[in-house]
Amino acid sequence: MRRTYLGEFEEVVLLMVAILDGEGYGVTVSQALEEHTGRIVTFGTVHNTLIRLEEKGFVRSELGGATTERGGRRKRLFRVTALGSRALQEIQQLRQDLWQLLPPNTLRLGGV
Amino acid sequence: MQPTPPRFARWLLAQFHPDDTLEEVEGDLDELYTYWYERAGPTQATLRYLLDVVSVMPPFVRRRQRSEDYYQSKCRTSALHPVMLRNYLKISLRTLSRNKLYTALNVAGLTFGISCFLLIGLYLFDELTFDQQHRNASRMYRVIEHKNVKGEGTTVAAGSYKLAEESKKNIAEVEKTARIRRTGRANLINPENPVNFQETVTIADENLLQLFDFPLLEGDKNTALKEPNSIILNEDLAMRLFDKTQVMGKTLKFGFMDSPLKVTGILKNHPRNSSFDFNSVISDASFYNADYYKQTMASDWSSSSFSVFVLLKPNTNSESVSAKMTNLILANYKPEIGTSLSYSLQPLKDIHLRSEGILDGARNSNVEAIPQGNLLYINIFSFIALFVLCIAGINYMNLSTARASNRLKEIGVRKSIGAERSNLVKQFLFEALLVTSFSFALSLLVVNVLLPSFNQFTNKQLSLGFGTNYRIWGMAIAATAIIGLLSGSYPAFLLSGFKPVLLLKGLKIKHSGSLSLRKGLVVFQFTLSTVLIVGTIVLFQQVRFMNTTNLGFNKDLMVVIDVNTRAARDRFETIKTEMEKIPSVKNVSATSRVPGEWKTIRMVKINPQGHTDNTNVSYLFGADKDFTKTYDVKLLKGRNFANPADSSTVLLNETAAKLLNINEPSDQPVEIPLVSERGGGFEPVNKDNTPFKARVIGIVKDFHFQSLHDRIEPLILAHINNPIHHIDYYTARIDANNIPETLEKLKTVMVNADQDDPFEYHFLDQQLARFYLEDARRQTLLIWVALATIFIACLGLFGLATYSAEQRIKEIGVRKVLGASVVNLATLLSKDFLKLVLIANGIAFPIAWWATDNWLQEYAYHIEIKWWMFAVAGVLAITIALLTVSYQALKAASMNPLKSLQTE
Repeated sequence: MRRTYLGEFEEVVLLMVAILDGEGYGVTVSQALEEHTGRIVTFGTVHNTLIRLEEKGFVRSELGGATTERGGRRKRLFRVTALGSRALQEIQQLRQDLWQLLPPNTLRLGGV
Repeated sequence: MQPTPPRFARWLLAQFHPDDTLEEVEGDLDELYTYWYERAGPTQATLRYLLDVVSVMPPFVRRRQRSEDYYQSKCRTSALHPVMLRNYLKISLRTLSRNKLYTALNVAGLTFGISCFLLIGLYLFDELTFDQQHRNASRMYRVIEHKNVKGEGTTVAAGSYKLAEESKKNIAEVEKTARIRRTGRANLINPENPVNFQETVTIADENLLQLFDFPLLEGDKNTALKEPNSIILNEDLAMRLFDKTQVMGKTLKFGFMDSPLKVTGILKNHPRNSSFDFNSVISDASFYNADYYKQTMASDWSSSSFSVFVLLKPNTNSESVSAKMTNLILANYKPEIGTSLSYSLQPLKDIHLRSEGILDGARNSNVEAIPQGNLLYINIFSFIALFVLCIAGINYMNLSTARASNRLKEIGVRKSIGAERSNLVKQFLFEALLVTSFSFALSLLVVNVLLPSFNQFTNKQLSLGFGTNYRIWGMAIAATAIIGLLSGSYPAFLLSGFKPVLLLKGLKIKHSGSLSLRKGLVVFQFTLSTVLIVGTIVLFQQVRFMNTTNLGFNKDLMVVIDVNTRAARDRFETIKTEMEKIPSVKNVSATSRVPGEWKTIRMVKINPQGHTDNTNVSYLFGADKDFTKTYDVKLLKGRNFANPADSSTVLLNETAAKLLNINEPSDQPVEIPLVSERGGGFEPVNKDNTPFKARVIGIVKDFHFQSLHDRIEPLILAHINNPIHHIDYYTARIDANNIPETLEKLKTVMVNADQDDPFEYHFLDQQLARFYLEDARRQTLLIWVALATIFIACLGLFGLATYSAEQRIKEIGVRKVLGASVVNLATLLSKDFLKLVLIANGIAFPIAWWATDNWLQEYAYHIEIKWWMFAVAGVLAITIALLTVSYQALKAASMNPLKSLQTE
């Protein structure tokens, strides 16, 4: 169905990049992750995931936005590509389809 | 103030994080540090920072690929694509052919290294695979007897009849045993074509062919040695006796035996790496019915009459078996008080190289012992092989880095049009492999050219061709590949690492660190060369000394004729008279041993009559009255033997006279109670334990009756009719003219005396030279090793000179512009190297002095070490070094300074 497999963490990071809408880079993605999901991960995890997403073609990046805070160094800012947004939508679609197939009350009975 | 993360962590990050993402990651981490600092304080922030740094370091970090890689990875040209390979090949060939001298030097050095390696590899392979052609070689052992009589220990590779037969029955782990004895030489004759020829035959029981895998061309290995009076021959002997090998069922006459022998098998010739070299085997069964055999063997527990070989069952501990053997023997035989006896098992594969101190037993004194290999040679050879190969590789490395600056432009261009470092590394490795492969091919040729002389020197039959063992090929090819890759890798990685802009601007590489390494290497190589040159000179002088020194007798034009039959022995007076009648024969003497003897000379214990407490050990052989005249041995005092009645008189040499305190010979009575036996101990001269009583009638001047390795020992010349040692040789001093005719006449005399005598003779001087064969061999070895190291040292020095001339090219240009002459400059450049060689000499001389002095101590009579030997070696080393360097020095000095100065 999907051409490239998207792992769970990759999916979350990709969503964060989408949410940050052009302002996503290492720091903001980490902070957003912590803020929205409560997960604190090492920077390397985020860094590697972003590179992997770029290799898979779901995001693209450019350098820019140097600030004094970072000693004049540039950031690598990420944006979701068309392929990335289609992948996210497909996941969303798939989930919805699957939710539709769920018999009523199943989760409630089985859950608690 | 702005909080900053720890500097060390920052440094780590900058060092190890991939370059292309360093900027953004550093920035991100700084930002995060500030964030955590404000939120949770410095400790938390630092901890997080450290953790994050680690998480973006190898091996955790993911490397960014270049943007084009995402799309083009499939259509990129591989560095090993045929097109690229063709390009490497083309460029390599061009570079190599443009610098012919360097290519030649490199190829020469590597060819040399690989050739040495191959030759020595072949030699070692042959030596180390001795006796492995037998299927069960790993389970086969030779029995070694350890005997100790009153503190005198002997270790003999031999055992008794019962040991072989009973251990087979009584010790469960023993699968088979075989007995061999070598009883000596006698005429082995084909009755259809009787030619007297003495053959050493081996006698073995029927298990020999089942235990060992000596391949039979004809005959059945299970039955060939079963029947009495059977004999098997090898191809060579069959050809010699019958002129063909299809001789099954033919008969032969053997001197010792009454009944004719029937040929029951034809043995393939032994390979050269076999300890066994017998060419005929007579079945032991031939003697089973003889009375003496029945009598002695029935109770033969303790003798050392046989070489015993055993085959053990798989997975057996040989030590426990030999312990059982010792117990078995001691249960049936009680040695005398003070005598101990035990047995051990020596693995078959150790016979060749690890038999030092083990006498090869169960053989007559005229049968040669199993030839031994020399572990020392093996070690020396392995060292040389590896050393030469390594140095050849290092020199290649040196030369190619030294020449690197010539290729910097090429590397720069390649890099700027998109070559990556890995491409360049591959290119240089490819080039190195090309050179080594070429050298390898060349050395195959060299080895095949050299093999005949090498075989002669090592006394082997080595060959390198399609038939050679695959392991040798594998080893050789692997060694070549490794040396190619290793010696190519240093220049490859060094040269490919430079930045293209700098290269194209004309940068000169400088790395002083490796320069001192190279200097060290050159000093080392020259030290070794000088030591070897001194060694060669010393050994050369010593060998010359041994060949020319006055031995105390005249060894020239002496024919020594073996006495092999009883008739030739008993009628010696007649034979002597007949020989003396030949006009070209000057003198004839009959003796039991001759000076420069190659067989063992008997030793005796001697004491002045009545003084049994004052016994001395001395050598003894019998001689007649013509001995002193024939051999030119000077009689100092007293008189010579006169008539047959003198049979109980003896002459002494000076050393023996001194030992016995005799100044003036005046028929002093002496007693000789004991004489040496074959096993190494002494036995009584007479059966009734009475000594041989003799009178001293004369003293002869000391002469070297043994080799010059040994001091002159006490010697008793007994009258030829003595009871201890009867005659064994005639020695004739002959004219230098027409020697073949004289020999023919001598032969006629011998054959007239006894039809069966095969007339065996030697020239004494040739026989004496055999004492120094090993020295001559060492000399040859040393000369070659010395040449090899000098050659290698020169290559190394040449590389260094080239390098240094390249480095100082600007300096030379400036000096020249300022008016320095070519001679000035050449001196300037050579001086450095002269210093290195002088240092090498300084190190080498004490080592050489110590080594040669130690080594000359091996010789009882040796030359003195003289200063000029060192001077010659030193001057030689310096001259060679200067010649090597001067080419580079002159070339650099005579270059137009414009050329070197215009580029900057």
